[in-house]
Amino acid sequence: MRVVSQTVVPCDITDEFTKAASKLRTGQLVKDEYFTLFEAVGALEIMDSKMDSGYLGPGENHAQALEDDYDTMRELAPEEVVGIMDELLCHEMAWHIGHPLSQTLFTSLYLDKLLWPVPNTFEEAHFGRPRNAMNQESPAIVHLVLRAYCLGLVKCCDFVHARVSGEYFYEEEDFVTQLYNRSLLSQFDQQPFIQLLDRAIMWIEDRNNQLDDKIREAIQCRLVMRRDLLLGFEQDMEILETRMSAHFTSCVSQLPALAKSISLGKSVPESFSLKIQRKLASTVPPRPMVKISPEDALAHLKRLCQDAVDVLDILNYRGPHNLKVAIWSLLSRKPQPSVYIRSLVQSVIVNNMTVLGVVPVKQFLYDELAEIVLPASALLRANTDEIEMPSDPRFQIAQHMDAFVKRFAQPFVDTFRSACLNRCRIRRTVCHTIVDWDNLQMEAEDLDEQLRTLNNEPPLVLQNGDTTYSYPLSSWTYHQKLNQFRLIIQMGFELSIYSPEELPGMYWYLSHICSTHLGHIDRIRTFTVSTAKRNLASLAGEKLEALERHAALQKSLRLLERLTTQLVAVDALAISLHALYVLLVRHELLPLASSAQAYSSERLRYELRMKPFIPITLPELVPFEEYRREAMLEGDSDEVVLERATKAISEARKAWETTLNDGAFARDPDGQSDQTTAIEEDWKRDVKDIMRACIGASIAIGTVKKALAAHKGTNNGKDMERLNLRVSIAEPGSKSRWHDWWAVPQILQTGTELTT
Amino acid sequence: MNHDASTSACPTASPPTSDLRYVQYDGAREDEYVSAMRQLISKDLSEPYSIYVYRYFLYQWGNLCFMAMDDSRPEDPMVGVVVSKLEPHRSGPLRGYIAMLAVREDYRGRGIATKLVRMAIDAMIELNADEIALETEITNTAAIKLYERLGFLRSKRLHRYYLNGNSAYRLVLYLKEGVGSIRTADPYAVHADARPEMAGPILAPPPALLHGNGGGVI
Repeated sequence: MRVVSQTVVPCDITDEFTKAASKLRTGQLVKDEYFTLFEAVGALEIMDSKMDSGYLGPGENHAQALEDDYDTMRELAPEEVVGIMDELLCHEMAWHIGHPLSQTLFTSLYLDKLLWPVPNTFEEAHFGRPRNAMNQESPAIVHLVLRAYCLGLVKCCDFVHARVSGEYFYEEEDFVTQLYNRSLLSQFDQQPFIQLLDRAIMWIEDRNNQLDDKIREAIQCRLVMRRDLLLGFEQDMEILETRMSAHFTSCVSQLPALAKSISLGKSVPESFSLKIQRKLASTVPPRPMVKISPEDALAHLKRLCQDAVDVLDILNYRGPHNLKVAIWSLLSRKPQPSVYIRSLVQSVIVNNMTVLGVVPVKQFLYDELAEIVLPASALLRANTDEIEMPSDPRFQIAQHMDAFVKRFAQPFVDTFRSACLNRCRIRRTVCHTIVDWDNLQMEAEDLDEQLRTLNNEPPLVLQNGDTTYSYPLSSWTYHQKLNQFRLIIQMGFELSIYSPEELPGMYWYLSHICSTHLGHIDRIRTFTVSTAKRNLASLAGEKLEALERHAALQKSLRLLERLTTQLVAVDALAISLHALYVLLVRHELLPLASSAQAYSSERLRYELRMKPFIPITLPELVPFEEYRREAMLEGDSDEVVLERATKAISEARKAWETTLNDGAFARDPDGQSDQTTAIEEDWKRDVKDIMRACIGASIAIGTVKKALAAHKGTNNGKDMERLNLRVSIAEPGSKSRWHDWWAVPQILQTGTELTT
Repeated sequence: MNHDASTSACPTASPPTSDLRYVQYDGAREDEYVSAMRQLISKDLSEPYSIYVYRYFLYQWGNLCFMAMDDSRPEDPMVGVVVSKLEPHRSGPLRGYIAMLAVREDYRGRGIATKLVRMAIDAMIELNADEIALETEITNTAAIKLYERLGFLRSKRLHRYYLNGNSAYRLVLYLKEGVGSIRTADPYAVHADARPEMAGPILAPPPALLHGNGGGVI
C-alpha cells in the first residue's frame, strides 16, 4: 500500500513539463544560482555504461547483471584459502591507502555474504546465508578457518574506521569512510572474533597429519597475524597505560613467514566480483577493482605495524619541545605513515584535553611557556583556586592567564596535530593557521601589557638607555609564528612547488626568516639572562626556591641555545644555496620554467608566492624591490658572492655537525641518556641527510669556483661568456636529492674548451 | 580537470600549424561540437564527464572555449580544445579557470595546446580577469611545462586529488598587481567555528571529477 502524506498532494505534471521542455534549445541550461560545478560534476548520465552503475547492456538481464553464481559454501583447497586470504589482505591495504571499500574489500563475495543483510547476531554472519543453518562448520577450512579470518578482518577494519573517522583527516584524500549502508560489525564486541580466530588456529594446529606442513603453517601464520592485528587495533590507545605494543610487534614477526608462503596460494578470482558495486548504496559511477601486489600490501602492513610500535617512543613525555621533535620525526618517515597511524598519533597527542594521556592541556601549554619564555615565572604559578581575593594581583594574573590558556591551548596543540595531516595538507593548513597566529600575537600583546603591571615587571634598560619589557606571551607567539613561516617555505621545497628561477629568492627568504628568528630568540634570551642575574642574589642565600629557579632558568637557556644552533644551521645552508643560485642565474645556467612570452612578470610571481604572508603584520612583507635587490645580491661581484657561498657552507657544515652531536632531544645535563629510540634514529638520519646536502653544496660551489677562475683566466676579465657547466636539480624523493628540504644543484663541467 | 598535452614540449621543432583553423565555440553548433569535444577529452578518462559538465561550461562561458580544426579531415576536424570559465573566486578576485585541455594524440608537439591556452587567456584578459588557475596531475610534465612557460607558478600541491589516487598541482597566474591582497570569503570559517576542537573530518572535498585537469590531454 502506498503511504500518502496528508500535506503533500501529488499531481501529474508530465504534460506541462514536456511542453515546457520542448521550448528549450538543445544545450540550453536551466539552472538557478546554486547549481555549481559541483552539481554538474555530480550528475550522472543514465544509460551510459561508464557512468550508470545500474545500466544493463544489450542482452543482459537483471539476474545476470547483479547476481554472481559463485558458491560460498563450496569446499576450498587449503591453497585456495591462502590465495583468498592474501587477496583480501591486498584489498584491505588498498583501503588503508585510501581507496574506497567498493573497489577493494567489498568486491569479495565472502565478505558480502557475511555483511549483507546486516547480521543481527554474530552467528548470523556466515557464508551460507540465507538458506543454510548458522552453525554449519563443515567443511571447517571454509566455515571455521576462512570465516574466522574474514570476520577478524572486518573487525580490524571496524577499529581502523573508528580511529580514523574520529580524528582530523581529509575524506577521499586520505581515506574513504563510506560504508555503503553496511556495518563493519561494530555492533559486536571483539570477544567472539578473537575466540573464533583462536578456535581456527587450534583447528589448523591439529591438522598436522592431514595437511602439508607448509600449507598448514601458511594458514596458521595468517590467522595468527590476523589475531595480532585485531588485538593491536583494538588496544591501540591502551599503550598510554601499558606502554607496550606486543600485538603489533608479534604481528610484524609473522610477516616473513607470510611473505614466504604467498607463492603457495592459489587465487580464486571468481570469489571477487565488481557486480557487488551495483548493489551498494551509492550514486557513483562504476569503478574498477583496485589491484595492489601482495608485496606492496605486505610492505604497507609492515610499516604500519612498525610505526604503531614506534608510537610508543613519543609517549615518554619530556616537555613540548622534545615531543614536537619526536612527532615530526615519526611522521616525516618516507613513505609517510598511513592514515591510521596518523590518526592514532592524533588521539595520543590529545584526548579529553589531556596530552599523552597524562598532561592536562593547560599544563602542557605552561610547560612550553616555561621552556621558552617564562622559566620559573610567577605568572605560571598564579592560581585562582588558591588566591580568592579578587583584588589580589595574583588573582588577576591567574584570571588573565586562564584567558590566555582558553584562547591559545587549542591552537598550540593543533601545531602538534597538524603534523599528522598528509604532507600537502600540512603546508596548506599552516598557511591558514599562520594568519590566526598573527591575530593571536596581538591578543597576547594586550595580555602582556596587563600582566606586566600586575606582576611589577622591572624594565630592562638597553644600551642606548631605552627601556623595554619582556612581552613573554607575545614573544612566544611570535616564536611560534616564525616556526610556521619556516615550515611553509621548507615544505614548499619538499612538495616541489618552486620553479628553478624561484630558488635563489626562496633560499634568500628562508635565511631572512631565520635571521629574524635568531634576532627574536636573542631578545628572549636577554630577558632570561637578566632574570637569572637577579636570581643570583637570592641564590647566594641558598634558598631552595632560588635554586629551583636557577635550574629552570638554565634549562630554558639551554633550550634557547639549542634552537639557536639549529636556526644557525638552517640559515647558513640557506645563505650558501642562495649565493650559489645567484651565480647560476647570473651566468644563465639555471634552467628556467617561464619563457620570455610569459603573461606574468617577476613581480607578479613574487606576489603570488608571498600570498600566504601578505596578511601577516609581523614580520612585514618584504617589498618586491628590496626582495629583488637582496635575492639577486645586486651590487656584489661574483667574487663576493662566491666568498659568501663558501663561508656559509663551511659554517653550515659545522652547525649541522653540532646539531647532530647535541642529539634529537633536549636533556637535563645530569639526566641519564636513555636508550636510543627508533625515532631518534630517524632524526639522526634526517640530519645526516642534510649534512650530505651540505657536502653536495660544497662540491657544487667548488665546481663553480673553478669554472669562474678558469673563465676569468682565459677571458682577461672581458664580459661574460657562458661557463661550461651543466646544472641539474634532483626532484624530492630521487636518490641524488639528499634531502627534500634542500634543493642542492648538481653541477657538471661540460667541456674544457672555452669559447673565446 | 583534464589537460592532456604531451604537446609542445619542443615548440621550436613544431611544424607549421597554419593549416589549422582556430575557432571560438558557437552554441548554435552544439550538436556538432560537443560530441567531438567529448570524444577528444574523454578518450583517456576512465570516468568521463557527463554532458552536464560540458553544458555547465559551454552554456555560460562558450566565449572562453576554443577549438583547433583541421579541415583536411572534414569528417572529424576537431583536433584540439580548451574549455574554461571566468567568475569571482569566493567573492574575491575575478578568476579564470582552465577546466579542460586536449589535443589529438597525432597532433601533439605542434604548439596547438599552447595556442589554445593563449587564446583562452587572452579572452579572459579582455574580460578583465585578475588571475587564472587550474589543476594538473603532477606526472603530466608536458602540461606543467606548458603553463609554466606562460608564467604560471605551482601554488600548492593537492594530495590524491584525482580518482586514480594521483596528486595534482594547482597552477596560478596573476594578471594584475594586488591580486594577492584581494580578500576572499574563507571557506573554512564556518567549519572552524562549528569545530572548537580540531576533531573529526572536515568537509569532504568536492568529488574528484570536478577536479580540473586544465593540464589535460595535450
